[in-house]
Amino acid sequence: MSLAELQNWLVDEGLGEELERLMRRLAIAEIDNLTPSAEDAEEPKFDWSRLLFAGSILARSQLRAHQEAALRIATAALTLAETTTVRDAGAVLLGKLSNFRAVALAEDRGLLAADLDSRLGMSLRIEAQRRQMNRAILIESSGRWLPVNDFQERFWSNAGDHQWLSASAPTASGKTFLVLQWLIDQMRSTDATIAVYLAPTRALVSEIEGALGVLLGPDSKVEVSSLPLREKFDAARTGGSKLILVFTQERLHLMANVIGVAAGVDLLIVDEAHKIGDHQRGVILQDAIERVSRDNPSVKLAFVSPATQNPEELLTDAPEGKPVIAIDSDAPTVLQNVILAEQRPRTPKLWNLSALRDGASVPLGVLQLDTSPSGLRKRLAFVAAAAGARGGTLVYANRPSEAETVAGLISQLTPKPVATDPALSELADLARKGVHPKYALAPLVERGVAFHYGNMPSLIRSEVERLFRSGKIRFLVCTSTLIEGVNLSCRTIVMRGPRKGKGNPMEPHDFWNLAGRAGRWGDEFQGNIICVDPKDRTAWPRGVPGRARYPIKRESDAVIERGDSLAEYLDRRAEIDAADVDGANDFEAVGSYLLTAYLRQGSISQTQLAKRHDPATIARLDASLATLADKIEIGPDIAVRHPGVSALGLQRLLEAFRAYEGDVENLLPATVDSDDSYDRFITIMGRINLHLYPAFTPDALIPLHALIVVRWLKGMSLAAMIRKNIEYHQKNARPFNIPTLIRQTMELVEVTARFKAPKYLSAYLDVLHLHLRAIGRIDLIEDDIDIGTQLEFGVSSRTLLSLMELGLSRMSAVALYEKIARDDLSKDDCRQWVVEREAQLVGMDIPAIIIREIRAKLLPDAGAQLATF
Amino acid sequence: MTKTISFGPLDFARKLDAEAFLKAMLNKYDVGDRVSAQDAEILRDALALHPDAAAKIGCGVDSFSVRSADYGTKCFWINRPDGSTEKFSFRACIYG
Repeated sequence: MSLAELQNWLVDEGLGEELERLMRRLAIAEIDNLTPSAEDAEEPKFDWSRLLFAGSILARSQLRAHQEAALRIATAALTLAETTTVRDAGAVLLGKLSNFRAVALAEDRGLLAADLDSRLGMSLRIEAQRRQMNRAILIESSGRWLPVNDFQERFWSNAGDHQWLSASAPTASGKTFLVLQWLIDQMRSTDATIAVYLAPTRALVSEIEGALGVLLGPDSKVEVSSLPLREKFDAARTGGSKLILVFTQERLHLMANVIGVAAGVDLLIVDEAHKIGDHQRGVILQDAIERVSRDNPSVKLAFVSPATQNPEELLTDAPEGKPVIAIDSDAPTVLQNVILAEQRPRTPKLWNLSALRDGASVPLGVLQLDTSPSGLRKRLAFVAAAAGARGGTLVYANRPSEAETVAGLISQLTPKPVATDPALSELADLARKGVHPKYALAPLVERGVAFHYGNMPSLIRSEVERLFRSGKIRFLVCTSTLIEGVNLSCRTIVMRGPRKGKGNPMEPHDFWNLAGRAGRWGDEFQGNIICVDPKDRTAWPRGVPGRARYPIKRESDAVIERGDSLAEYLDRRAEIDAADVDGANDFEAVGSYLLTAYLRQGSISQTQLAKRHDPATIARLDASLATLADKIEIGPDIAVRHPGVSALGLQRLLEAFRAYEGDVENLLPATVDSDDSYDRFITIMGRINLHLYPAFTPDALIPLHALIVVRWLKGMSLAAMIRKNIEYHQKNARPFNIPTLIRQTMELVEVTARFKAPKYLSAYLDVLHLHLRAIGRIDLIEDDIDIGTQLEFGVSSRTLLSLMELGLSRMSAVALYEKIARDDLSKDDCRQWVVEREAQLVGMDIPAIIIREIRAKLLPDAGAQLATF
Repeated sequence: MTKTISFGPLDFARKLDAEAFLKAMLNKYDVGDRVSAQDAEILRDALALHPDAAAKIGCGVDSFSVRSADYGTKCFWINRPDGSTEKFSFRACIYG
């Protein structure tokens, strides 16, 4: 029998029954309010020496099922066994799995007596030490050795001598931590001066920016910024502080537009790289990567993605002859229990729980709810409240409104604390002052329950995440923002019929990406995924999905593979406006991308993507693009600056400017302090809808979009915008409810003011400037803060921008700006302003969390002191 | 007897003609536009005929804009030198 055959036999037959018992025992220990079945209520009896020997054989396998079995045996030995020797052996087995974090956790929990090495025999000790040496990497910049797992070791040792690298591993494999360490090491120990870290959402951008700040520490020679401003970039290029920029793909384009070219980026990291397949934003990501690599062909590039099937796919666009490598891991680091929760007939408060093993369910026992759940949301909420009572419990809701409702239900089942934790009170205060006195989050967090969605202000969202991690928030109800990329793990995740976006059942790989959040490596040994009503076909149309990994496929490739539909769309697009063309939603983004490539090269046959497709398809597209290109005079330079915006739309806009008979000054946006500003935006948005792309729809809502944009640009706080929205409804006797208005205002800010408006208004202004130069009215072109940057950050004054450049969130910057008289302060002026008034900050009625942020960012000495207390 | 009305040097045989003239001027502009210097001259003369001219003009007229008014319509606005602004109906300038 070969080793592989022995390993297979062990898992399939030799240990089958014992592994199932281990699984039951381990899972039962994780669930609250559970009455185990009679057999499991007795003392466990396991043949530990047989199990551990088998575990050490399985640990040598690379197969996920084998590694999982070994991890289960090791975890059980540490957490269930009574004797020190068995626990020690469990720790040794974890060492064989290179799971040093779990060993450290066992020591922290007192499961493992200190100084394990001294209790091992000589040969075991030598082996353990050799393993630790093999599984440690040298951080060159500090000379420190860092213990790592197999995936981390392979990443580190290969990243050095490959120009393009694509790494994929399940959530909780320590990917982000390692990549950040590697990035910092590269910046400190190589000639690289500018690095860009691309993340798909602003939520992840602020998280990564914060994490880098902590890892770098104060007085670092490397700066971190998420603002696309010229100053730090130029400084880094001319010998000043090195720079790590953390951007979304849109922000990278903004930056490249401000600089002129993306040249100078030495290192590019693309996190959540599988999102290159996302609808509309996938192609903008692809374009951003290509733009950087075009401007600097020797850029070092690392793609990072969670549990993907084909990480090597991302390497196919690497320049010819450059060394590339894919690093793939499927090894588990924490145990995951998939648990099904089904209501017992005629006893609504009693639920049967069972664990999934190889597609079959293994009964665990009966969960007792506090109260009968009537209605679907209550089923989700009450099961979560009962099974996850000890905290660390994440509940997945399909919409922000549902997240608020479910959180409200859970909070009613949790005991009211005698005294509220000060950190929770501070968050409640921030929610009341920063959003609205009646924002539902405030009373919930006082009871240790919260909700979380993408449109929340980042300061509040990151504080919610922080307090959930620390255990003070025990239940967190979240939406798909979490799958879109926030590194937040939990002990238990509870789901009922999860959807992604508006109503689409979740694909298996999305489900497993979400499920991957269960299990905090280094904080817990296990994670639990509880699926409520798994047999309900409305909730789970395809049942609970089997384990699956993301297939990486570029959006551009997927659209081109749809046969002639794209070429036919382009043919129609040549004749009529995008608003009237069927399929604009499906084809406009990729069509614009190809048109720009065509304008740049005169054909798409030489692009990287051409080699992946049938030459006939490419020739057909080239013919359609040639017809479009004939109508376009704006040139590739402007088209390159506006990914996702069709060059044809830009051309039509230019023609509209040429045909305009009024005073050209009226084509420019009015400054936001002017009374004309709001109305001018209405007209400009109308022009954009008509000529460029129907972005601000329906037309009847343009005034609302314009109002939000003006208020946002004026630096108005979210709280003030919500207040004004409520006043408007009251004045005009329109019915409203406060939670909905709050969410709608947040959505308008995020979607209109921060996403659509920068994208389309900066394109509008670029074309207008082209026109103004052509007619000799260069006097009208102001060299001010770029409109895209103003909109993304919601600033129009130098002072506000300076405050945000210093690292403040917009919420804190606006709160502080309300107290600052001058609108033209530089960063140093702002620091000086705060230094002079430090003692008065507390009396200014600013929420404590904001004051903490102001101190940390503007008074680094005070921040450092605070951190040490 | 034909009622005539004049905005400075511009004479209209009928008030309806004056109304049509100012209406065409208004419609030439999009909301948010500044009124051209040439049109502003005429508007100054028209505004003088407004029954509340003194209150509307206040501390003076710096420029005119076209902005949105109630119910999705648009109208002329006076921009005063002190930064304040006030809308007015061109029909009131003609019909009082």
